Amino acid sequence: MKHYSIGYFLGQGFKGIWRNGVMSVASIAVLMSCLVVLGGFSLLVYNIDVNLEEFGLLNEIVVFVDRDASEEEIAAVGEKIASLDNVAAVRRTTRAEALEEMKHQSEEYAHLYDDITPEENPLSDSFTVTYKDNDDVITLAYLLGQIEGVRKVVNRLDLAVKISSFKRGVQLVFSWFLVILFVVSLFVIINTIKLSVFSRRGEISIMRYVGATGWFITLPFLIEGVVIGLFSSAAAFFVEKFFYRYIEAIVASDLQMISVVHFDAVQTIVFWSFLGVGVLAGIVGSSISLGKYLEA
Amino acid sequence: MIEFRNVKKVYPNGTVALGGVNLRVEDGEFVFVVGHSGAGKTTLMKLLLREEKLTSGRLMVNDYDLTKLSRFRVPFYRRELGVVFQDFRLFPNKTVFENVAFAMQVVGTPPRMIRRRVPAILNTVNLADKQKNFPNELSGGEQQRVALARALANNPKIILADEPTGNIDPQMSLEIMNLLVKINRLGKTVIVVTHEQSLVDYYQQRVVTLSEGRITEDRVGGMFE
Repeated sequence: MKHYSIGYFLGQGFKGIWRNGVMSVASIAVLMSCLVVLGGFSLLVYNIDVNLEEFGLLNEIVVFVDRDASEEEIAAVGEKIASLDNVAAVRRTTRAEALEEMKHQSEEYAHLYDDITPEENPLSDSFTVTYKDNDDVITLAYLLGQIEGVRKVVNRLDLAVKISSFKRGVQLVFSWFLVILFVVSLFVIINTIKLSVFSRRGEISIMRYVGATGWFITLPFLIEGVVIGLFSSAAAFFVEKFFYRYIEAIVASDLQMISVVHFDAVQTIVFWSFLGVGVLAGIVGSSISLGKYLEA
Repeated sequence: MIEFRNVKKVYPNGTVALGGVNLRVEDGEFVFVVGHSGAGKTTLMKLLLREEKLTSGRLMVNDYDLTKLSRFRVPFYRRELGVVFQDFRLFPNKTVFENVAFAMQVVGTPPRMIRRRVPAILNTVNLADKQKNFPNELSGGEQQRVALARALANNPKIILADEPTGNIDPQMSLEIMNLLVKINRLGKTVIVVTHEQSLVDYYQQRVVTLSEGRITEDRVGGMFE
């Protein structure tokens, strides 16, 4: 290809978009929706992961020590816990700290705790055990229960399993949604490009007679597909940003226990992912509709 | 040089369009191809344009053997030809200048050369003063002259004209034919497919008559039979 043709190809690509106004807008709208849904689901899954990590739901077990255990006995329990396989970290919470935490959690009734002397404190010392491997957690929970001086072992495995299966469900729905939307987007792009080819069929036949190569004929249409992809990506990015910020604000005011990742932290990857998927859809869509035109 | 050697063309539905054509056209010749509807004129043109592939035989055009031509070389082969159609096939939204320039742009001619060459070609077809006009502002004859200028744009060795006077009045037809003769005198091979008896009789050139896919007559200075 010679350098003086580049302007021609770009010009023709943009003219094609303009010429098929309605279909081009439809293509951009559908592909944009696909990208927004893709981004929405991805960000949802990412936020679930972040929250799970923050709550430590997936890799923590709390071990309560007998109420009447002496300081030495408690320390011995701590050492035994630390010596077990699959234990990443052990953090002790004394019964006094636990009482303070309780007061803090129910501030309105804090005065009710004021009369409780250290001797009357009904709570017991506990160890928060962080483990390494999720698969061996049942064994670890059993071994912790067998340690002398341990009263109770609490794990939040049930909740973790529920959240994990919710996450898997979201991912499954998301995958199917994505496949369907991507196929729909491709069909709309294919039709747009076909319409563009149809409206220029006279021009194409003349191009052939004067000796234009297959690439010369098809490149403007490929560019048209890429431009559709670019516009869709840019539009999807701003729509996603708007909706995400809106939801972020609602969550921040009404659901404070859930933490939401700031859009600024993920916008680079969202932008490049949208651009990649959008342009790819444009190229694939136009290539499918142009296959036979590459032949002389 | 164009050479058909026992060229047969059978369409997938079984229609025998050409049933063994032998024809040799030397460089710089002027040839009328005549015949009734269904005689095989259109198929002959399509084979020359490499729109269709022949079923058997051999077809040579200059250095190209169309029997073996790969699809990637077809565009380069077509640059050896200039084509004119009955319906002009101009771009209504491009000016006369742009219509001619387009053919040069397609084959990658630098803009500087396009700007220099297009006015010269338009001068050859007597349209120098119409280069800024759009096709709908021109008469049928003028539009066909633009098509002729476009056919000449890439300086092809062969001009193929398929019923070039079919859509224009008799006076304009003569003008177009005179131009084709003029182009032929410049050294180009010209093949004109037509069924206009009066024109063929008037110009007294070589006439190849096709009937039912075969050449039934080939006479220099011939008349329409």
